[in-house]
Amino acid sequence: MVYTRAASLVILAGLAAVPAVFGMFTAYQLGLYLIYGIVGQGIALCWGRAGFLPLGQALFFGIGAYIAGAFLKASDGAYIALIPAIATACIVPAILAAIVGLLVFNRQIGSGPYFSLITLALAMLGFQLANSLDGITGGFNGMTGIPAPAGIDSFGNYYFVVLGAVAVISLALYWLLRTPFGLLLSATAENEERLQFFGFNTSGLKAAAFGISAGVAGLAGALYAPHQGIVTPQAVGFLLSAELVIWTAVGGRTSLAGPLVGAVFIGFLASELRNTFQYWEVVIGLVFILVVLRLPRGIVGIGETAFKSITGGWNKPSLPRDQKLETSGPALKPDLVFDEVKVTMGPVTILDGLDFSIHQPGIHAIIGPNGAGKTSAFNVMTGRLRATAGSVRWRGETVNGMKPYQVARLKVSRKFQVPSVFSGLSIDQHVDIALWANRIGTADLFSMQPFRWTSDLYSILAERFSFLNEGDRIAGDLSLGQRQMLDFCITYLSEPELVLLDEPCAGLSTAETADMIAAIADTNRHLGSTAIIIEHDMRVVEGLSNHVIVMHQGRLLANGSIDEIRANEDVQAVYSGGTK
Amino acid sequence: MSRNGVLEVQDLAGGYGEITVVRGLSLSVKQGQAVFLTGRNGVGKSTLAKLVAGHLPATAGTIRFDGKDFTSQPDHARRPAGLGYAPQESTVFDTLSILENLTLPYDDRDLSRYNELFLLFPRIKDRLTQLAGTLSGGEKKILSFCRAIGEETRLVVMDEPSEGVQPENIDRMGAMLEQEKTRGRSFLIVEQNLTLVEHVADHAYLLDHGECVFETQRSPNMRQMLSDRLNL
Amino acid sequence: MDLFVTTGMNLIYAIATLGLVALGLAVVFGLLGVMNMAHGEFVMLGAYSVFVVQTAGLPFIAAVPLALAVCAGIGVLVEWSVIRHLYRRPFDTLLATWGISIVIREVVEAGFGRDFKSVDQVLPGTVSFLGAPYPAYRLVLLAAIIIFFALLLVWYRRSNTGARIKAMVSNPALAAAVGIDTARLARLTFVFGVCTAGIAGVALAPLVRIEPYMGIDYLLSSFFILVVGGLGSLEGLLIGSAFIGGFDTSISTLFSKTSGYLTVLVISILFLWLRPDGLYARR
Repeated sequence: MVYTRAASLVILAGLAAVPAVFGMFTAYQLGLYLIYGIVGQGIALCWGRAGFLPLGQALFFGIGAYIAGAFLKASDGAYIALIPAIATACIVPAILAAIVGLLVFNRQIGSGPYFSLITLALAMLGFQLANSLDGITGGFNGMTGIPAPAGIDSFGNYYFVVLGAVAVISLALYWLLRTPFGLLLSATAENEERLQFFGFNTSGLKAAAFGISAGVAGLAGALYAPHQGIVTPQAVGFLLSAELVIWTAVGGRTSLAGPLVGAVFIGFLASELRNTFQYWEVVIGLVFILVVLRLPRGIVGIGETAFKSITGGWNKPSLPRDQKLETSGPALKPDLVFDEVKVTMGPVTILDGLDFSIHQPGIHAIIGPNGAGKTSAFNVMTGRLRATAGSVRWRGETVNGMKPYQVARLKVSRKFQVPSVFSGLSIDQHVDIALWANRIGTADLFSMQPFRWTSDLYSILAERFSFLNEGDRIAGDLSLGQRQMLDFCITYLSEPELVLLDEPCAGLSTAETADMIAAIADTNRHLGSTAIIIEHDMRVVEGLSNHVIVMHQGRLLANGSIDEIRANEDVQAVYSGGTK
Repeated sequence: MSRNGVLEVQDLAGGYGEITVVRGLSLSVKQGQAVFLTGRNGVGKSTLAKLVAGHLPATAGTIRFDGKDFTSQPDHARRPAGLGYAPQESTVFDTLSILENLTLPYDDRDLSRYNELFLLFPRIKDRLTQLAGTLSGGEKKILSFCRAIGEETRLVVMDEPSEGVQPENIDRMGAMLEQEKTRGRSFLIVEQNLTLVEHVADHAYLLDHGECVFETQRSPNMRQMLSDRLNL
Repeated sequence: MDLFVTTGMNLIYAIATLGLVALGLAVVFGLLGVMNMAHGEFVMLGAYSVFVVQTAGLPFIAAVPLALAVCAGIGVLVEWSVIRHLYRRPFDTLLATWGISIVIREVVEAGFGRDFKSVDQVLPGTVSFLGAPYPAYRLVLLAAIIIFFALLLVWYRRSNTGARIKAMVSNPALAAAVGIDTARLARLTFVFGVCTAGIAGVALAPLVRIEPYMGIDYLLSSFFILVVGGLGSLEGLLIGSAFIGGFDTSISTLFSKTSGYLTVLVISILFLWLRPDGLYARR
């Protein structure tokens, strides 16, 4: 920490000395590259942190530049116009991006290439519009004669304005990445669906990140307009968009310094080569391929590795867990109704009028042959599968058709069959996210206090599962059994009132299975919650529950106590429970 | 057929990168035999299966299949040579239909080789055009089992075939394995379900910390011996 | 009647050439999952092959083996040195192939200069088709494309190759376990894709401007076609070509080239957003 801060100050001082040491023209060039680097920082926020790549960032940069240019031209560089100019140049792209983000992310979970390609196509659309809307943008020739604010010389002291902006934006983004919001963005990149099951609206989080990145790009555009004095459609286009991504990748998308380094490095490399070697772009292309192949963390990545080996890695800020959360009190009685639920996919019927209800707390088991629709019953309850007919109601609210995060907000939590954790995050970060579920407010997202939260249940679980105390361990390094346990812990840490457990003992050995059964029983009793568990192993069922729901071919076959189920002739006909 | 086994593993070691999981393991599978590996999680059972299937490189020791050295044979060349594999995770091709999953290894789309399996698991046949990704975890295991049995391989390595499969279908798998054994096929099966081990195993190894700590021939009290040691 | 035939033929011709150009990207992106930003550069290499053989005084048809050799050679090199390290990393392949496109473009510019090249007309003159005069070369080309697609469709339907490629992409370890040599299959698929791009370049060379920067247009239109038609099937490719070709040609004729382009852009954005599986989703 101390080292990075000191290093940042040294670098900033070095940058401030550039005009004096290398002359004004170099500083002018450097200023332009730093402006591009700012856009790159926004790309890094989305790509390096939240895991989706915006490919058309020049659109927002160009809009910011046109807006600032128009304001400056209209006011002839008067200071009075600066604040509305900068504010509009930031806010318009930010809102535009947030809307695009919400529209796209709400329809598509994950971070596949479609979002990237939409942003790219939007930039191309922007380029066409900038070319054809002569009256506003000046068309092909661009918006010319943009004055610098009074007393500012584009080739002189404007450099220090740019430098100041770089410092302020870097600090702001640095702070943002350390907040709970920043951690949730990482979690989104790691495992978006799992985060939704904690009640987080991940498309909102991603749209917010995209909006912020566009605001940053717009601000850079506002800096660019008076710096160049002209804004052409190229500032909105496809090529600049691609180049911005290249600079970010070359510098390093996972850090804030990376995009600045990348833009400056490629900028000066290109301006050197351009004069000496006609086909300089070949070199840029090769450098770029090399970075993609060999340096996924960019140029800065080399530095970081070297730096870490010198200092032994810097300490992450670790706040003590000293704010105990109130337990919400004994859970209310459950009220879950499956009302003639039918699910079909093409010619296949998955659920065929499933009908049952649960009104008693405690643990209930669903058993049934493979393909009976057990997991599908969970899926239709948690927004993963659409019901063709019928409804699922939890405390009177129809939950089928809701998005996973909306169901999770009704205090319904779910653990998948395969352990689903955030592979790149530490155990402590898992605990944080689980404790925040359904508790963290929007304001808390931008405060450091939630990192100090803890709960009674956390203390109990940490005693039972010793690996929870090794908070710095990365989840991806844990064994399958431990990931299964970690997933179980975070599922319950959100203190749900209804827990859906899909074969929680799958892949566990006999001894581990016994531990897991005990943990489920104890935790559920502690919270007074209701759990529904899918299980094949009758021994597990016997140890946990006396209410069994038997499914067969998408329908309810039997419903009752273990003894009743055992005696049921229908059940015996299709299903004979055994033990491991 | 020589007196040696179809599969001879000698002092095999390997793991993930620098982490050695299997440390000097030896075992042998004879023709018409089913050999089971059991043990707690993380003791190296799956790693051994991946080493034999060629998905992980061996760092020491040898694997001989049919008398030929297979230690550094590339993974894709093992099936054509007669060594099949059904992994524990990612058991099927989610983006392909069930039909494509079953016919992928062949140039024709002939399903007759699966007739016996379809009789046992009719739900697979009923849903041939459905994407395999829409199957439940247990059904994927069954599909993977069918694919591996349908291939005309001499030895099949299976990693936890019964995981998530209901007991009745596990019994059917056991019956199928018994039948294939009488046809001279051999099996190396990682399994925690002792019922399947009890019914099918000719030989069982108990693994711990990447080594074999106990082995037994088929015997009436095999299940008891294994479960006593598993719970230690 | 003549006008009707000519317009109809022009439309079919536009769709067929678009389909041919997009085929390579459909294979490389749709099946292999590699968003090949250098796709257009391979079309460009095909077009320059025609220029080279004509400059050397050889017949037009000699451009086909030359284009195949050049595209296959560069394809193998690119696959071996870059792509094979990046399978299943869609963003990284997108970026790396962008770098490759820059390199190919600049090398061609260094060799041939930046100016437009044109090649001699092949089969000049027109023939009468359904009573209307139609350029002979276009007619031959159209027939060749249709035969090529028909053969491809028959082969693809009969073989398990498409399923194998998809299997390899979705689960490489299991694909190897069922005996698929994944490294070889991936390389062959990539090389096949870029070679068809090269052939498309040869076919189009007599009709278009040849310059180092021509690739980007072909990349974009191929991409729009895949977006609209849907990935992973020949049917989708043809439907996408018809849709994009139809809209572009008709809007451009009725209004202007720019509005045609804008329409295609907006359609693509809407498809990406609302129906990312395209019109012809496989299931």
